[in-house]
Amino acid sequence: MIKMRNERNFKHNNNKIDAVFKKLKEEKRKAFIPFISIGDPDIETSLDIAKTLAENGADIIELGFPFSDPMADGKVIQRSYERALKNKISMEDTFDFIKRLKAFKNIPIVLFTYYNPVFAMSEKFAEGAEEAGVEGVLIVDLPPEESGEFTKYIEDRNIYQIFLLAPTTDAGRMRLVLSYAKGFVYYVSVTGVTGARKNLPETVKSNVNEIKKITDLPVGVGFGISSKEQAKDIAKYSDAIIIGSRIIQFIEDNINDKELILKKIAEFSNDIISVL
Amino acid sequence: MKLPDDNGHFGEYGGRYISETLMPAVIELEKFYNKIRNDKEFIKDFKYYLKNYVGRPSPLYFAERLSKIYNAEIYLKREDLNHTGAHKINNTMGQALLALRMGKKRIIAETGAGQHGVATATVCALFDLDCEIFMGKKDVERQKQNVFRMELLGAKVNSVEAGSQTLKDAMNEAIRDWITNIQTTYYMIGTVAGPHPYPLIVRDFQSVIGKEVLKQLKRLPDILIACVGGGSNAIGLFYPFLKYDGIKIYAVEAGGYGIETGMHAASITGGKPGVLHGNKTYLLQDEFGRIKDAHSIAAGLDYPGIGPEHSYFADEKRIIFDSVTDEEAVKAFQELCKLEGIIPALESSHAIAYLEKIKKEIKGKTVVINLSGRGDKDMHTISEYLSAAKPVKIKSGAEAGRD
Repeated sequence: MIKMRNERNFKHNNNKIDAVFKKLKEEKRKAFIPFISIGDPDIETSLDIAKTLAENGADIIELGFPFSDPMADGKVIQRSYERALKNKISMEDTFDFIKRLKAFKNIPIVLFTYYNPVFAMSEKFAEGAEEAGVEGVLIVDLPPEESGEFTKYIEDRNIYQIFLLAPTTDAGRMRLVLSYAKGFVYYVSVTGVTGARKNLPETVKSNVNEIKKITDLPVGVGFGISSKEQAKDIAKYSDAIIIGSRIIQFIEDNINDKELILKKIAEFSNDIISVL
Repeated sequence: MKLPDDNGHFGEYGGRYISETLMPAVIELEKFYNKIRNDKEFIKDFKYYLKNYVGRPSPLYFAERLSKIYNAEIYLKREDLNHTGAHKINNTMGQALLALRMGKKRIIAETGAGQHGVATATVCALFDLDCEIFMGKKDVERQKQNVFRMELLGAKVNSVEAGSQTLKDAMNEAIRDWITNIQTTYYMIGTVAGPHPYPLIVRDFQSVIGKEVLKQLKRLPDILIACVGGGSNAIGLFYPFLKYDGIKIYAVEAGGYGIETGMHAASITGGKPGVLHGNKTYLLQDEFGRIKDAHSIAAGLDYPGIGPEHSYFADEKRIIFDSVTDEEAVKAFQELCKLEGIIPALESSHAIAYLEKIKKEIKGKTVVINLSGRGDKDMHTISEYLSAAKPVKIKSGAEAGRD
């Protein structure tokens, strides 16, 4: 079967996301991509959490820009955004955060956001993201059909838009979405919002295999993964494990003890990478 | 020009800004709806229930005393006389028949004041469909009677505690439920917003309002007025008239404490374009693109966005957008009670209040106002408002400086 060659992938060949997956492939390892919200519980602590993740095995970090109406997120990330919103994080604060993180360790960053904050800044968003060194932008409510406007802002910059595939996406749509995808594609494991789940559907494996028949891009799996066992199982057939709500739960559970938050997250991170 | 175009855009507005999980379902809905919207059997069923269950056509009433005061010929389109007391049921009836044909047995909906929730619960009872309503915690508290009505009708009402605990948060939660239960569930959106094809579907079902006015008046009016939150009653009245150039069309937004205070729900008068709840449209938002809370005494207008078709016609200046304050709406509410013996909904009172703003212009003209709902639900709000010695006014910077 002939796989799709995505012309857009060749415009830039120095995006660090590609380099990370290339290296992991050589080392026969899978990527660990943790997610945290910027500013939860406060800017400095969240920066320390990101540094901790970078030091303890994260290959790429996904950073959530807190939004007032997170329609695709479950309760844990909703509450995380609400805590972060109290700190009035602007997009400029976000870019500054990323610069400071990168000065500590130059790890690839995927900025996770809803579209309205990006649309409100339009080209200034792309300029700021490029200057901060953002490698990828994932806009959860911006499907390829509506992404033309945003593509214009980033196409001449070294920034990838990361796209999602869902259990509801059929083969025809997979091809459409994958023709836009760069860096890696994010497979949403469940029909639902973000949040840790004990059991994941059996369709994850068959759907990831289906995607891999169509594309050579790495496939990351997220939404619902919360344990080492789940990560180990899914890592057998995918290229990256994305975990958000489980990590944020450590923040919520230990909200007044910063040291404990960092310790728990470092332990969890090491535990996960031990099976990847 | 076809509006919306094949991708659901009204010029630069509308579209489908939703997560991938929902895309296939929305595309399926569009295909299904395109097949059925001209289906004779479907139209026959819809008309049957509108006539025999909703009580259509609703009267176009010549408001004699109101006309005398404004020296104009003023007609009220009596949507308040529909079953459940507002225009909302035109849409839920159509969407329930659509959901039945799609084989969906579970219906979810968001509601603010509870009117759309009641209209949804009503058709679900009628057609034996499971019904869950999402309503912000603050609205559950201030609209207890409608919560009780929905429960009597067999619906489960979920109180939403996230965010500002009002309509926008109820819609967020409905969307989350929809993402989770996409295979079994039909999302019954209550206004001309959301991802394509919802603005089109709701417009089609609400246009019965304007079509009846065309028949009832037997000539063209000079001026149309409707209140606008999301904008379904307004599109319902306006849509069949948009093609007639000479007609002036006014959409009245909720000015709350006044646009200058920032405490209002006027998305077009006081907002700017953005993306929320699946469509691009005018929104109330801060400089970082976060959505601001809306404010209006009329819970049904208390939403920080508006349907994308309104945004398009606002830019085109085909529909003129303006606003009236809580205070002006309450004054008009009282006026209509005493002049015509009609207790209007606080939402519809905004449209009535606009007469005062254009009183010079309407002299000798034929004016049609959409009386979108009745005011029974607002007794508590009105009595509280009127018993307060003076409504709390937000001080402007200059006034505060003088203290």
